[in-house]
Amino acid sequence: MDREYTIIGTRMTRTDSLAKVTGRASFTADLKLPRMLCAKVLRSPHPHAKILNIDTSKALRLPGVRAVVTAADAHGVKWGVFRYTQDHPMIAVDRVRYVGEDVAGVAAVDEETAMEALDLIQVDYEPLPAVFDPEEAMKEGAPLIHEEYPNNVNIHVHIEVGKVDEAFARAHLVREDTFHAPGEAYSTLEPYAVVASYANGYLDLWVPNAGPHVRAKALSNLLKMPLNKVRVRRINVGGHFGSRSEVSPGDLVTSLLAIKSGCPVKLVLTREENATCTRQVHDIKATIKTGVNKDGTITAKEFRVVYDGGAYSSTGPIATSIPYYVYEEAYRFPNVRYDGYRVITNKGIRGMYGCHGRAFLGGNEMQLDMIARELGMDPMEIRIKNGLKVGEETATKSVIISGGLEEPIRLAAAKANWAERRAGLKEGEGIGMGCVAVMCGFPMGFRSGSACYVKLNDDGQATIVTGICDTGMGNESMAIQIASEVLGIPVEDINLVNADTEATNLDPGAYSQAASFVGGNAVKRACEEAKRQILSFAAAKMNHPVEDLDLKDRTVVSKTDPLKKMPMRWIVREAFFQGKPIAATGAYMPKIDFQREWVKNPYGQMAGTYSFGCSVAQVTVDRETGQIRVPYFVAAHDCGNPINTMAVEGQMEGSVLQAGVAVLAEETRWSQGWLLNPDLLEYKVPLACDMPEIEPVIVRSNDPEGPFGAKEGGLTTRMNAYSAVVCAAHNALGVPLNEFPLTPDRVLKALNAAKSGGES
Amino acid sequence: MERFKVNFQVNGEPVELDVRPSETLLETLRDRLELTGAKEGCGLGACGSCTVLLDGLPTRSCIVLTAEVDGSEVTTIEGLAEGEKLDPVQESFMEKGAVQCGFCTPGMILTARSLLDRNPRPTREDIIRSISSNVCRCTGYKKIVEAVEAVSSTETPET
Repeated sequence: MDREYTIIGTRMTRTDSLAKVTGRASFTADLKLPRMLCAKVLRSPHPHAKILNIDTSKALRLPGVRAVVTAADAHGVKWGVFRYTQDHPMIAVDRVRYVGEDVAGVAAVDEETAMEALDLIQVDYEPLPAVFDPEEAMKEGAPLIHEEYPNNVNIHVHIEVGKVDEAFARAHLVREDTFHAPGEAYSTLEPYAVVASYANGYLDLWVPNAGPHVRAKALSNLLKMPLNKVRVRRINVGGHFGSRSEVSPGDLVTSLLAIKSGCPVKLVLTREENATCTRQVHDIKATIKTGVNKDGTITAKEFRVVYDGGAYSSTGPIATSIPYYVYEEAYRFPNVRYDGYRVITNKGIRGMYGCHGRAFLGGNEMQLDMIARELGMDPMEIRIKNGLKVGEETATKSVIISGGLEEPIRLAAAKANWAERRAGLKEGEGIGMGCVAVMCGFPMGFRSGSACYVKLNDDGQATIVTGICDTGMGNESMAIQIASEVLGIPVEDINLVNADTEATNLDPGAYSQAASFVGGNAVKRACEEAKRQILSFAAAKMNHPVEDLDLKDRTVVSKTDPLKKMPMRWIVREAFFQGKPIAATGAYMPKIDFQREWVKNPYGQMAGTYSFGCSVAQVTVDRETGQIRVPYFVAAHDCGNPINTMAVEGQMEGSVLQAGVAVLAEETRWSQGWLLNPDLLEYKVPLACDMPEIEPVIVRSNDPEGPFGAKEGGLTTRMNAYSAVVCAAHNALGVPLNEFPLTPDRVLKALNAAKSGGES
Repeated sequence: MERFKVNFQVNGEPVELDVRPSETLLETLRDRLELTGAKEGCGLGACGSCTVLLDGLPTRSCIVLTAEVDGSEVTTIEGLAEGEKLDPVQESFMEKGAVQCGFCTPGMILTARSLLDRNPRPTREDIIRSISSNVCRCTGYKKIVEAVEAVSSTETPET
């Protein structure tokens, strides 16, 4: 099986890594264009205020200032991912709704001049009452932040399947718990940056993005420019994790400045601006009620989840749904009611995160352990019993076509010696397990699919052109590796043109876990069509049956006769002679129910396929100080079949950091709408010395639809590592831990509460 | 505005510049010398993305003033390879899959290079302690540690 492919499944050195180890890989802030100006943004100092007047005249008179823009220069278009969520003007018009909101932009010859100009812009504000807590914001009489959202409820997702109340009434055991986790910072190492250049009616943009096509479309709407005049270019991206998927106010401000000044403009956010003024992670409070039979079968689930969305919708309907979906995609819920409320508050905008939904997912898994303990079951046993299998449907009617939860659980448990390790735990040690399943691609209408072109060049080398975008995970290398496998040429023979809206065709982008399953499939299909053309020319030229021909090592070979072969470049040249150069298109559209809608109709096939995963964490807890450490971690992820084994491991290991270790410390702290820890000294991210010993386990379910059986490469770990650690901490301490992250103060508080309340 | 005349070496080449008193080494390298391998991740010395070697030691160039480096030798990621021949640490980062988004990579590689220069056979703990000065948000550090370990075992013969 392993030798079925030449290069798929190997530990291939990523094709992008040479540029990155030599410092030659350019990121947006590294770009320098002739006559380029420096941009700075004036931001709201109020969490909620009316704008009475903006006077930019003094700033414009400052020598060296080339342009100042405000909402008056924009086109009155509000941004929203969906038609019904278009609420964000991107540059404040007559009202600001969070501290840090973009109010005006300046382009000047250098940074000092731009900063000085910001001080010269006079904005008259009339402060308004503000609200920061989502539960408070939902109450009658709370300040209304957007007229169109009564009680500040931005999105309400309601899902109801089966007979929930009846099932609870009949359940052998019912538990209800509430869990809360504050928001976090993505902390992508690259702060947000934009370079915009405008000439001859065309706008060129370089910006860290996770999908150039959706970005260009959003900007064409905001700028009221035809889509073919907005070109988003390929650029290296310094991390993503969900933060780069949506158009950002900086994109609009910088574009307007470039248009107005006639010069290229660069905006680079500081780390503090990045944390305050680009999207960050939702604060989530989840009330979870579960009913089970005597044997541990889950019979009913009920959820009320409140998401603090900050000031605008962003990806609201998706963000309000995903934590639930990655859970129902893992487990069988015959009767379930989900109510997710995304609430507007006067804080920075909240978006999707690679480990979005920690309070919900960690809470569900910890509660499952509490139930298992009451029933005398092993946490592994109750998970396997309720885990979805191939052929089954999720509660909201998505069919599972490969994988299933049992195998990742069994393989993770085997790697960790689950039973022995659990039996051998000492005082202060605990072990826990967390599971999810993840959709490979969201329904995005006609943008759910991807298309790829390939051309064979006159020396037998190939160029592939695809919208696939790489934000650090290795998608570019993945596309080249797939082309190499199909075309039988080494990766160094393949050039990639990607993520450039002028050159490439539609692609859903590097989020929703679609890149390998959808984009990879399109690359594979394009290359297969090119291969078909090559073999057909070769069959004629070599006078040999086409069925017996194949491509290998830059050569057309016979499958049966080792002497029968011909260099591929001869065939390619022959095709040029005949006026039929080898060029092919391939596309892939996942089998999704496009009637499905996040709010109005949350039922039907969500994605083409699902990946399954299980993490196991071991922790040690100091009961005196409340300090938790994670010495050991196993992550099992069903990626279908790994394209690049090393890259898949890398995704899983990074996920252990960003979810599994982050649960011990990461949180954003607020006071009256001000973010208190916007920098990397106050917001501490895990370092090498904080990391456990990690054992990644790649699970192969060989997906029938995926390219070479591949699904997505590691997101289940990002979504369940948090759960494994909180379950392990619960196992070590024996008390409920309802407040995340598990900082020493919260752990001590939980221990004290249990002591005084006599909780189990 | 007051200016300082500063003489120092960057990647073996002498550099003479008039700098503003507030100009950081990172600004000088990126904006004036067009050496953009060193990145600004936080601007206050917390993340290590701006790490360069100052007289052989890993240094956060975002919190060092260029005026301070007069007479010193600065090595940036661009100066590590000899022509097309990569430093073994660069090669090892590629082979072991220690590179993802690449934003921390120059700083990590220089930190590791300096460790190996000072301590050719570091233990795993030495490596972890040394690279804990730098933030990587993508890899979970495992493959970075493995990449440095691999260089240490090939660069120095067993004694």
